[in-house]
Amino acid sequence: MKTLSRRAWLLYIPAVAFLAGLCILFYTFYTNADNWSMRKANRHLYTSGTLIAAGNITDETGAILAKTADGKRQYNESRSIRTATLHVVGDAQGFIATGVQTSYKDELTGYTFANGIYDIKKYGKGNDLQLAVNAELCAEAYKALGNNKGTVGVMNYRTGQLVCVTSKPAYDIQNRPSQDIANDKTGEYEGVYLNRFFSGVYTPGSTFKVITSASAIDNIADIDTQKLKCTGAHTIDGGSVKCLGKHGTLGFERALNVSCNSFFAQVALQLGTEKLTATTDALGFNQNFTVGKIRLAKSTFDLSAASKLDLGWAGIGQYTTLVNPCHMLMIVGAIANGGTSVQPYLVKSITNQTGKTVLEAKTEAGLQMFSASTAKKLQELLRSNVENYYGDSKFRKLEMCGKTGTAEVSTDEGGDKPHAWFVGFSQRKDLPYAIVVVVENGGGGSSVAIPVANKTMQKVAELYGK
Amino acid sequence: MKEQKKKKRRKSYRKPVKWPFLLLMMTVFQIICALQIHMNGTQEKTTTLVVVFAVYITVEWVYFLVCGGFLHRKSFEIELIAFFLTGIGLTLTTSVYPDKAYTQLAAVMLGILVFSVMLWILGDINRVTKLRMPVAILAVLALAVTLVIGTDINGAKNWIILGDGVLSIQTSELVKVAFVFVGAATLEYLQSTRSLTKYILFAGVCIGCLFLMRDFGTALIFFFTFIVMAFLRSGDIKTLFLICATAVLGGAGVLTFKPHVAKRFETYRHVWENATGSGYQQVQLLIYSVSGGLFGLGIGNGKLRYVYAATEDLAFGMVCEEFGIIIAMTVLLTFVSLVVYSIRYARAARSSFYSIAALAASSLLLFQAALHVFGVTDLLPWTGVTLPFISRGGSSMMCCWGLAAFIKAIDVHTYKRYDKIGQS
Repeated sequence: MKTLSRRAWLLYIPAVAFLAGLCILFYTFYTNADNWSMRKANRHLYTSGTLIAAGNITDETGAILAKTADGKRQYNESRSIRTATLHVVGDAQGFIATGVQTSYKDELTGYTFANGIYDIKKYGKGNDLQLAVNAELCAEAYKALGNNKGTVGVMNYRTGQLVCVTSKPAYDIQNRPSQDIANDKTGEYEGVYLNRFFSGVYTPGSTFKVITSASAIDNIADIDTQKLKCTGAHTIDGGSVKCLGKHGTLGFERALNVSCNSFFAQVALQLGTEKLTATTDALGFNQNFTVGKIRLAKSTFDLSAASKLDLGWAGIGQYTTLVNPCHMLMIVGAIANGGTSVQPYLVKSITNQTGKTVLEAKTEAGLQMFSASTAKKLQELLRSNVENYYGDSKFRKLEMCGKTGTAEVSTDEGGDKPHAWFVGFSQRKDLPYAIVVVVENGGGGSSVAIPVANKTMQKVAELYGK
Repeated sequence: MKEQKKKKRRKSYRKPVKWPFLLLMMTVFQIICALQIHMNGTQEKTTTLVVVFAVYITVEWVYFLVCGGFLHRKSFEIELIAFFLTGIGLTLTTSVYPDKAYTQLAAVMLGILVFSVMLWILGDINRVTKLRMPVAILAVLALAVTLVIGTDINGAKNWIILGDGVLSIQTSELVKVAFVFVGAATLEYLQSTRSLTKYILFAGVCIGCLFLMRDFGTALIFFFTFIVMAFLRSGDIKTLFLICATAVLGGAGVLTFKPHVAKRFETYRHVWENATGSGYQQVQLLIYSVSGGLFGLGIGNGKLRYVYAATEDLAFGMVCEEFGIIIAMTVLLTFVSLVVYSIRYARAARSSFYSIAALAASSLLLFQAALHVFGVTDLLPWTGVTLPFISRGGSSMMCCWGLAAFIKAIDVHTYKRYDKIGQS
């Protein structure tokens, strides 16, 4: 009996192994709970692939953008608002990965590991989510894009609130033209599920000169007094960086006003690879950013294999450089905000089924992108652009600062038209808003992007101006 | 000093739990279950609901009052666990398959009957020895008959269906009890190598039959139980390793040469890629298990119940979703406690038969629970074995209660007349 009871002790091994298995099982449940419970096969939350258990999504004014009623997901009454907010609201099927209905579905359903989906069953709906955007403003910006593809983003550069995010092409979520999208040969629906503001990357073109300027202010002591010559092109090692005009001899401020390629190619060469890269590093190029739970496409700047000529091109925003519109908005916002960027936010608050606020957006400081003095100098330069070159008449009563960009995307004659950019901000005390506009293959920055920016900013002034 | 300490410890773990309070709590729990089913309307026939729960709770109380009051038994750990688990299973069946509530109740009654009869048989070691051979022969016959006239359900030919489905028996479940019985009884009087050889032959035939039925889960359970019993008797780890190695090699060989066997395991660790095909049930189980959260959605509120074999193969998920992960984990911990109970009582058992039988039975239940839970959650290959006491099914209910009798019998206090001998 004694030996037998001693042998019996060995059975503690399977018992302990079983306990270990239970721990692993619990851990597996705990770590995968969000993922598993949000699967479309979960009929507590989905009805034929549509997320029905989500709460309301409202804009900053409280206007309903999406809600569940009668077991169906319903959206804003206005077709133009539905279309303009398609990408931020997202769809209930998950085609639009960055839409809050997909990226915030845990929050929207109110699933927690402890309670499971109990509260959803109890209250018949999930948590309510209030977005930072203003739906009317989005609709206005979307309309301003006209027939072009592209994106518009507006952010309060003091608080980080993204009041406008819109991306084109979009569609009316109430009746998704799935056939048209699937059989699209004209390119009308190219990248329709992509929110270009968060997930797009574009050649920055002349808007990058703002960054080259920042680097010059920091690193070239006599940049203000330098006079350089433009003959319509600047020759480097046998190649040349072409300029759109023959600007003659001109100084720093004037060169930025007229966006002289020759001038900035020479500035880039003076700076050299290292210093220009250091500036872009400080601005967050080649870094991952997130807006809440949404991941931004990464802006890239890489001169590791660049020749001198490439460096010249990079200085004017061509070469291999790519910029994400939201990231560009953060950079411009940092200039307006005195050098420090603020963390943009898209979700203003989340309220649970019992009315308790479970998440409230807070203003958070982001990267220190520029020194205060550099930011101030850049503000003056960007203000000069509008005042002395584009003209304040283009932005009536807005006191805009900004820079246009015309980003060449094709090397062939008669190829795709360039992307038109505008980045800028208002200096009015009551309008601390920065804007980014990208019009894909729209043409010239000042002729195409400025009107879009103006229309959007006028609406901003109407909504928030005092 | 040391001896005293030991005595003290032995005394402390023999202290029986206070059953009236626990029984009352359990009854409250079961009444709450019944009320939930009623409020959810998942069991439309109120009479069925009332009868099932009234009968079950009455049987529970009668059992405890007769054994505790009349027979003066003091420890009721095994019964409390068995009744608790069975109650959960009964709740699930009554709610998910309203029509099968009475059948399951009958199965539970049969199980309790088997438990009582087994306890009586185990009370006399001579009776056990006499029954050893007939039981062994019956067990082998039952398996052989199943092999010949058995019906294939879900890929395993382990069912005997009589009278157009009026009575369906899963013989492998019943043979589990016989397997432990014969094993422990043979190894009790291990006078000659002949009896050991006989037992190995018996085990081999049983496991072989199960393999031919393609009931790999049960075959594995038998194999594990065999290893446990052989080790307890011989203490020879080296031989056991040899047996295990041979088995693993043999298993690997089967998998290589019989691709259709390997096919059964190909979704292992790939259930999500086969979410609409072969991994469907498991994926559903995982989704709904975490949907229930720690505290569960309440009986009748789940969605896993609509998936095929919800209360049998997916019983663990049902408990997770509707009772909550905490109760599901508690259920699993009870299987561990059965093994610990047997280990702790092994020294004080009347003879090595009781120790071996209890240890084998509790390990069998633990191993089966492990195969069920870790298999269905894709941590181990899924073999489709049931969750003891909880999964619906008459044969498995009788088997579980039968095995519980072995664990119960290890405690000398079960048989009152030995108490005096033990005390003197």
